[in-house]
Amino acid sequence: MTDQNLTHLETWDRRQAEYEESRRVGPIKATFDRMLRNRLLLFGTVLGLIVLGAGFVGPTISGADPNLQNFSATHLPPGSEGNLLGTDHLGRDQAVRVFIGIRVSLMVAAGVTLISLAFGLVLGMFAGFLGGWRDRTIRGVVDFVWGFPLILVAVLFAGGLGEGLFPVILAVGLVNTAAIARVVRGEVLSLSEREFVEAARAGGLSTPRIMWRHLFPNILAPALVLASYYVAVAIIAEAALSFIGLGAQPPTPSLGGMVSDGRNFLHINPWASTIPGVTIVLLVLSVSLIGDGLRDVFDPRLRHEAKGVEQE
Amino acid sequence: MTRTLYLVLIVAVSSVAVFYAIRLSGGDAVAAVIQPGTASLEAREQLRELWGLNLPIHEQYFAYMGRLLRGDLGNSLTNNWPISEMLIIHGRHSLLLGGAALLLVFGLGVPLGILASLRRNGFTDISITTLSVGGLAVPNFWLALLMVWLFASTLRWLPSAGCCSPKQLVLPAVVLAMEGLALTVRMTRSAMLENLDRDFVRTLRAGGLSELRVVGRHVLRNALVPIVSLAGLRIGQIVGYALVVETIFGWPGLGQVLVNAVLRRDYAVAQFFSLVLVTLVIVGNWAADLGYLVANPRLRNARSRAV
Repeated sequence: MTDQNLTHLETWDRRQAEYEESRRVGPIKATFDRMLRNRLLLFGTVLGLIVLGAGFVGPTISGADPNLQNFSATHLPPGSEGNLLGTDHLGRDQAVRVFIGIRVSLMVAAGVTLISLAFGLVLGMFAGFLGGWRDRTIRGVVDFVWGFPLILVAVLFAGGLGEGLFPVILAVGLVNTAAIARVVRGEVLSLSEREFVEAARAGGLSTPRIMWRHLFPNILAPALVLASYYVAVAIIAEAALSFIGLGAQPPTPSLGGMVSDGRNFLHINPWASTIPGVTIVLLVLSVSLIGDGLRDVFDPRLRHEAKGVEQE
Repeated sequence: MTRTLYLVLIVAVSSVAVFYAIRLSGGDAVAAVIQPGTASLEAREQLRELWGLNLPIHEQYFAYMGRLLRGDLGNSLTNNWPISEMLIIHGRHSLLLGGAALLLVFGLGVPLGILASLRRNGFTDISITTLSVGGLAVPNFWLALLMVWLFASTLRWLPSAGCCSPKQLVLPAVVLAMEGLALTVRMTRSAMLENLDRDFVRTLRAGGLSELRVVGRHVLRNALVPIVSLAGLRIGQIVGYALVVETIFGWPGLGQVLVNAVLRRDYAVAQFFSLVLVTLVIVGNWAADLGYLVANPRLRNARSRAV
């Protein structure tokens, strides 16, 4: 009990300090300063920039074809001349393939985030604000979808649409939509009891206008933070599905697929699957650090909610 | 009662969803089975009629469910193997692997969590907590590969794949259990800590009860009920990961059968086994819901109003 009171006091103190600071230097600079001071976020961003930089700039520098095979130079270890990270069993340059693989991962993550953010926001806001049978229907569907393991949904979609990145994006997007809609709904429910919404309603504003002008801006920040959290989920899911052959199809270099290609040669050339594997771990790590950091900066309250999401 | 009705409804709805999802692309099962250019148009038409593919999709659905309820599961499209036999053989393997994983999740996760909570902030606690964070952060297929590389390729202690000797079971079961194990450790630890600080514990200790009795009988009981009641959720998680883990380790369970059927476009098999796994997940979630209510009588009224 005392513990709880203490945290409330601390939060209150911090909010007060944050408010005074934003009065002094302006809200944008204050937020930016807070972001710089957050070590998690800083570390994640630096790590992320390195991995992303490799994905975007890497291919341009080396300029090589990721699918160019060279059977006289298979299974080269990292650091070989001309092949920075070595080659795989077909003599393809690992560095170029990892770089392109990062791009593929990020493409999937971007697609998933767009889908889940757009639909999650709309569904969550409608359910939370309109209430009644609309709320019950949306919540029923959302809870139903949310209860499913991501991989199973993706395998179902792959069964219907064939293998490839598109069903993966759709499946992960669907499940993440449910995850985001749940939280958005909760936020909207608590917001709609606040005075400013009541005031807007009393002022005779139409429902769509209240939702768009008054609720949406307040929901956007937490939703974005939550979405950044689910980027990691999307990256892992894509890698796992490509690994079992249902995601990106060869010869598209995808990190999960590369790990899978390399696993048959673990005893000759462990690098072939270690390098893409470590890349996945780094990518996921940096994305989740960024997500955690953003959450701390923008919405300390969400810390507990996201933990709940993770644990259930 | 309402909940059981709800369960049946959800299973029915998802059977429709699965049925449509498998046919989402309008993919042609006949084209998937027959090599291009080997059968005449008439032969294809005959096959389509034999499988009932010329009917409208809702009629196909009811025909299929009717056959399913009568116990006629049909045959695989690729090797004509009866699906009922596949269910028994592969289901047994899955049960073995899933059971082993579930045993690890609770049989190992709960004691580790308790140990960590009793040695709060000590070396044991910190190593257990760090390991469990690691278990959550590493993607499981990558963990699988690391373990194969370490225990199978380098140390040669355990086989890297295959079924079903105890040695072959170790790696897949550990990988399958890892995330649930890490979660259970964390949840047990925090639930124990929460309860260890409560007033009744102080009273019991003041009353002169031995530490073993306080922790074992009173704290543990309060802490564990919500965790074990969520076992159903772990089932869903394990079903999902089994798809990946069974494929990696060549463990011939339901997950591997489903993935292979999808890869080979064997719609009959894919459809049936998706239905099986989906039902399993739904029942798991339902059991968790129910278990949670049983464990927390205070929630009963609030929850039944909400649902």
